[in-house]
Amino acid sequence: MVQQLTTDTILGRLSESIPVIASQSPTPHRLYIEVPKDRVKEACRILFEDLQGRYTITVGTDRRPVNGKFEVLHFFSFDRDNIRMAVRVFLDPDDLTLESITPVIPGAGWAEREIQDLVGIRVIGHPDPRPLALPDGFPEGLYPLRKDYPYNYQPPLDEGKTFPFKEPPPDATVVTVGPFFPVLEEPSQWRLFVDGEIVVGCDYRGFYNHRAIEKLGDSVLTYNQIVFLAERICGICGCVHSTSYCQAVEEAAGIEVPLRARVIRSLILELERVHSHLLWLGLACHIVGFDYGFMQSWRIREPVMWLAEYLTGSRKHFSINLVGGVRRDIVPDQFDRILSVADDVDRQTNELVKAIQDDTALIARLKGVGIFTPEEVRLSGAVGPTARGSGVAIDARRDHPYAAYDLLQFEVVTHDGCDTLARTLVRIGEIFESLKMIRQCVNLLKDIPVGDLLGEIPEEIPPLKDGMHAVEAPRGEVFHYVLTGYENRPYRWRVRAPSYQNIQSVPMMFKEGTYLADVPITLGSVDPCFSCTERMEVVDQGRSQSYTLEEKDLLRLSRSKYRALKATERK
Amino acid sequence: MTLTEISRAIARFLGFDPPTDQAAAQVILALIDALLIFGFLMLGVLVLIYVFRKIVGFIQARLGPRYTGPRGILQTLADALKLLRKEDIIPRAADRIAFNLAPLMVFLPAYLVYIVIPFGDPETGLVVRDLNVGVLYLLSISSVTVIGIVTAGWASANKWSLLGGMRSGAQLISYEVPMTLVFAVPVLLAGSLRLSDIVRAQGEFFWQWNAFRLDFFPFTLLAFITFLICALAETNQTPFDLPEAESELVAGFHVEYSGFKFAIFFLAEFGNTIAISAIATHLFLGGWKAPFPFLPDSGFWSLGWFFFKVSLLVLLIIWIRGTLLRVRIDQVMELGWKVLLPIGLICVTGVGLLVSIRPSPTEQAKQKVAVVSECPVSLQKDDGPFRWCRTHGRT
Repeated sequence: MVQQLTTDTILGRLSESIPVIASQSPTPHRLYIEVPKDRVKEACRILFEDLQGRYTITVGTDRRPVNGKFEVLHFFSFDRDNIRMAVRVFLDPDDLTLESITPVIPGAGWAEREIQDLVGIRVIGHPDPRPLALPDGFPEGLYPLRKDYPYNYQPPLDEGKTFPFKEPPPDATVVTVGPFFPVLEEPSQWRLFVDGEIVVGCDYRGFYNHRAIEKLGDSVLTYNQIVFLAERICGICGCVHSTSYCQAVEEAAGIEVPLRARVIRSLILELERVHSHLLWLGLACHIVGFDYGFMQSWRIREPVMWLAEYLTGSRKHFSINLVGGVRRDIVPDQFDRILSVADDVDRQTNELVKAIQDDTALIARLKGVGIFTPEEVRLSGAVGPTARGSGVAIDARRDHPYAAYDLLQFEVVTHDGCDTLARTLVRIGEIFESLKMIRQCVNLLKDIPVGDLLGEIPEEIPPLKDGMHAVEAPRGEVFHYVLTGYENRPYRWRVRAPSYQNIQSVPMMFKEGTYLADVPITLGSVDPCFSCTERMEVVDQGRSQSYTLEEKDLLRLSRSKYRALKATERK
Repeated sequence: MTLTEISRAIARFLGFDPPTDQAAAQVILALIDALLIFGFLMLGVLVLIYVFRKIVGFIQARLGPRYTGPRGILQTLADALKLLRKEDIIPRAADRIAFNLAPLMVFLPAYLVYIVIPFGDPETGLVVRDLNVGVLYLLSISSVTVIGIVTAGWASANKWSLLGGMRSGAQLISYEVPMTLVFAVPVLLAGSLRLSDIVRAQGEFFWQWNAFRLDFFPFTLLAFITFLICALAETNQTPFDLPEAESELVAGFHVEYSGFKFAIFFLAEFGNTIAISAIATHLFLGGWKAPFPFLPDSGFWSLGWFFFKVSLLVLLIIWIRGTLLRVRIDQVMELGWKVLLPIGLICVTGVGLLVSIRPSPTEQAKQKVAVVSECPVSLQKDDGPFRWCRTHGRT
């Protein structure tokens, strides 16, 4: 039996070998430890290898206006013991270097590249220190997430600069998937090194969706405005972001959310999971050319969207959350429709799933494709169905209960197949679990007396308090970190979408002998959501001012381009 | 009125009297035949695409085309016109000659196969040329398609199209082998390569057609199924649509083609679907014959029966296309070489053995009493292939 961990035992274990400068444990489930700069890697190694913590994310913050230093936080999560913790290190602005933890924890690769790009903290010993988030040709020495960088400043781009892609191995051809590709709904570029139809390696360039969301959050918007911006991080699972953000702020400010609001949050979140998984199921079918499943699954999904519109006023961006509670109630008149939609979706999904599971050709396309071992899950920090498909039973709803999940009975669906089929089955299983939870939520709502939907919110949210919270999104755990600030807005807000870790794990799934034909479905099997992953930074690549293009403008543009093309052709 | 007569009538209408100049008459008549076939192909494809979209829409809980014309029947026409008006783009890096030639190389086979396919009873004249090497002609002509596709893939100077072309090459060559083998089954049974002979060699009742006949069960049925699967692969239909797999290869070998040339690929694909169904009808489903002898199947009735059967097969293909998913290239290869090829060999060997060891028609009739007692009809009306072969003589 593994010893039960508490914040004290973790602190004790770390203190044995590392001089802990300061520690802070606001609740039994949270721990912040400050360590000296040169011992960060050691501390992370102990947490990751000895204590088997799960790496979550790394956050870099420019704290110069407050204490003249930069701060880096490495977050870890102990899912079995419901503890989330951060290793904190302060860096002197004169010596902005930090030892990389990526050699120990491969899953930290992107996060460290990101703080290098955006905060300007140089990471020493990173195996792949190329830029990640900023556009090609972004001027050197400009770091958008620093506090002296205005949120609306657009530096001139060096058009000649290109991304330093990896060299393909000898004898391999580069086949570029993306940035625009028929089955990738959002831009991302995968350079596959292929030998015939066999994939021998790959390189990734993403972050084409720069939207400056975090920068807006800590420089322009206020606490309650961010909720609605957070919702728009993702077009499919927006509610998880707003819930997670609200919970992080509530934790930092110590706001108690009324029970009824928590149940409503859970209900909406599960509704979102049902429609997101059905959407994914359809897309997965489409990727392998099974358009029948694609259409049927989206047909089943549609009533869920109508129900969401009926309950919240919007098909997708529900905007149900506010810091401290929810915006509107679900009244008894609405219960019947919720239950009947749940029953319909349950029955129809069952029929579809039967058809899918009987399809030997489909199973043959999914089974044994994109093998992802439990060890690789741990190394890459993958979450959600991607991890559960490899038999790793992590689920923020059970491990770190939030909203009303402590009152709901549900199972964490896992499969041991470690392949695309297992990930598919996990998602299918979760649809049914979610429907079960929706019914339970309705029953709970029947019992809870109608009352306040917003908790008591203090006049001013105290500054410089840390809050971190995660929500189990359809794709995995969404993690939000908020450092409260002045002027009614966070000082730093960091979003870690599940796809951020899951996409990093995709190269691991391209095992030796992967066929080119398996690449889209393998990529699809992690349900990548690029707009979540790339929520970040500033800079519209093109024009400085914005204007609406009307039809005649578009015609004029395309014609002038055509003429230019013709002219070059004649030469 | 026969096809030839129609051609002659048109020729006379044009002010040309055929008997006066034999050679010129032949050329003119051939041209008119060619136009008629082309017209049939265009019309058939227009209808097929509309039906295809409607049926697949129905299968996938969609509506399909609705707005252009009543119930959307003019949608295909509108799409075709739109394609013709589009800009014809040739990539700068493309091999121009090969790039322009490839659509023709794909289209021509799809068009030329119709020369030997009877649209009904050839005695009514519903065939252009009833060649005595019809089956051989079909096999050789349809093999040209793959060259066109590989050329298109290579000439586009695009990695996706090249991959599509190579996949197509691998797939079509693999499936040509079992397909050729099962082509031999009806040929063995009829003792002739002429398509009309093969049809005549099949009985009057539908259980005497090659696909369902009991005296060579299960070899002929297996051969029919193998043929259908190969036909799907040869026409790049789902589940074998790898060469143009949208989600994997963008659009495969025709990714760089636009406008008219793209339309030609499209036309060829659907034209091939009709052609392969027509071939299957003749080889395995009794051609233009009615399922029972008491139903009329002479003259223009034969045309009706032929199109009825072809439509059923086309519907089957659409159905498969609407419900199945795309398999992977290695799975395609495995199915072709490890499953269909052995089955094809077994079919040919089995039928060949049975044909050679079966006794003469009279003895065969005696034996049938003993062996196929549950099938009294074959007793009453023994018009199996052997009697036919014996009476007409094998050459």
